[in-house]
Amino acid sequence: MLYKLERLQRVYGDRIVLDIDFLEIAPNAIYTLIGPNGAGKTSLLKILAFLDKPSSGDLSFSGQPVRFGEKHLHTLRRRVVMLDQTPILFTGTVWKNVEFGLRIRKVPAVQRKRRVEKMLELVGMEKFRDFDSRGLSGGEVKRVALARALVLRPDVLLCDEPTANVDGENQESILHSLEQINREEKTSIIFSTHYLSQGQRLADHTLLLQHGSLSDLAGENIFRVALMPQKDDKTLCRLTEQISLLLPAERVSSCNDSAKLHIDPKLIVLDPDDKDLTHGNYLYGQIMDLAQDRGGIRIGMDAGVRLALTLSVEEYDRRQPVLGQRKLIFIPYDGVVCTSADFF
Amino acid sequence: MLLDSVQSAFLLLFSFDPELLEIVGVSLKVSFGATLIASFVGIPAGFIVAYSVFPGKRFLLTCLNTLLALPTVVIGLFVYSFISRRGIFGSFDLLYTQKAIIIGQVILIVPVIMTLTIAAVNRIDSRYRVTALTLGANRFQMALVIMKEARYGIFAAVIAAYGRVIAEVGISMMLGGNARGFTRTMTTAMALEYDKGEFVLAVALGITLMTFAFGINMLFHFFQGKTGSDAL
Repeated sequence: MLYKLERLQRVYGDRIVLDIDFLEIAPNAIYTLIGPNGAGKTSLLKILAFLDKPSSGDLSFSGQPVRFGEKHLHTLRRRVVMLDQTPILFTGTVWKNVEFGLRIRKVPAVQRKRRVEKMLELVGMEKFRDFDSRGLSGGEVKRVALARALVLRPDVLLCDEPTANVDGENQESILHSLEQINREEKTSIIFSTHYLSQGQRLADHTLLLQHGSLSDLAGENIFRVALMPQKDDKTLCRLTEQISLLLPAERVSSCNDSAKLHIDPKLIVLDPDDKDLTHGNYLYGQIMDLAQDRGGIRIGMDAGVRLALTLSVEEYDRRQPVLGQRKLIFIPYDGVVCTSADFF
Repeated sequence: MLLDSVQSAFLLLFSFDPELLEIVGVSLKVSFGATLIASFVGIPAGFIVAYSVFPGKRFLLTCLNTLLALPTVVIGLFVYSFISRRGIFGSFDLLYTQKAIIIGQVILIVPVIMTLTIAAVNRIDSRYRVTALTLGANRFQMALVIMKEARYGIFAAVIAAYGRVIAEVGISMMLGGNARGFTRTMTTAMALEYDKGEFVLAVALGITLMTFAFGINMLFHFFQGKTGSDAL
């Protein structure tokens, strides 16, 4: 495995921004990391890039545990490059920027020239080689920054929202470069994005981060909803003609009329003991499938919409759900994330 | 009287009076020497302080800011106690030499260069640091990147320091002794001429000093402007 994370946490003050129980990332693959703002995507990428240190837990890279001493980190950083969401170019020309990493690695001038030329061509910036970096547009800066990272032929390229704030033409160029470099150089790529469609188009694997934790079932429990404001600061989220969830208005404040809703399968309560909880929604559903899933049990339910939920083994033993059973489920407000429709 | 003095001063200036040229030469030489040494000390030290986290950093910054207001006579007195005949370094015969002035002036401007370097480095976008590291730079290479990005701010620090030493009088007088042709600087010469009631040379030196000060300020604002435009 390329990366292995176990019980890894990153804490700022008293706020846990990242809490990953277990994650393995395979080499030579493209991973996409999706999740709303503040989900911990950048924090995770920084840790994977060895630019930040986890507060606790274990991280291993290429089968070796990572020691967070400066010398060891410097060696690891030479194999992993991170592309910032809003990259910054050094003062100087485009050429000097792309050449930077090769210069500090003392790559001979002839090789440097060949590699920089090739990379500028890959990102479509060969005509800009002698341009002052300060005169470039946002999309061009991203392309040069991508070339500056890729010219180093890293084992891993980490990109934080590489297509954010970039026009369509530049987006295509960036995505094409990522695909090509993965195919030709076998570079492992992990990139975060707001767009599920973009992630699914490029990535071999999708990771969904919510509130700093990984959600196992990325792609499941995602619904396009119509929002209808109600009295008492509540908003009705209509999943289908028959199925709706009532949410506090502040949980949908960042969305427009048409939004997407993700329900965290870990937070759905099956057959709740308390039937009068007020901080969520109750639904009835029929158990359609049961499967073992990484130390837990995954249950597929038909509640008018297809819903997945996960139970711990202890919880499963206690509840003893049976296929075909009709059960009450409770979806707490905390288990629901509403985003604009163009998000996933 | 002032108009007469100014007229005579200009005549003196344009006649390239040897005494005046000598005084200006000594002033430039010691100020340049002091600024050069203080830059070698102050720029790396400022950089290290800016990029390090250590207990007492805030206290150190407070001390450095306090030292910016340190009167030149206090430094003169302090250095005098070390280099006078009975001082620890008395045997080096430094008192009333250009070296003594330089030592005092270095002490005067190291805090200036350090604090302005710290401010210049702190203004640099933190992404430069992270980008350099992720591209494989070690700590030293990362420092060079930051230095390059902060260069205008650092130049401005050096120029401000040069302006401070060329215009100071306390250290030059106390440690240099105002010896003609040797340690007489523009400011000490002006003070002496004033005492003598001879305004012509004092005014000529004053004009020269003001011209230098103006030039230095022009340079300072040029680099400050560069820093500002870079930040946009």
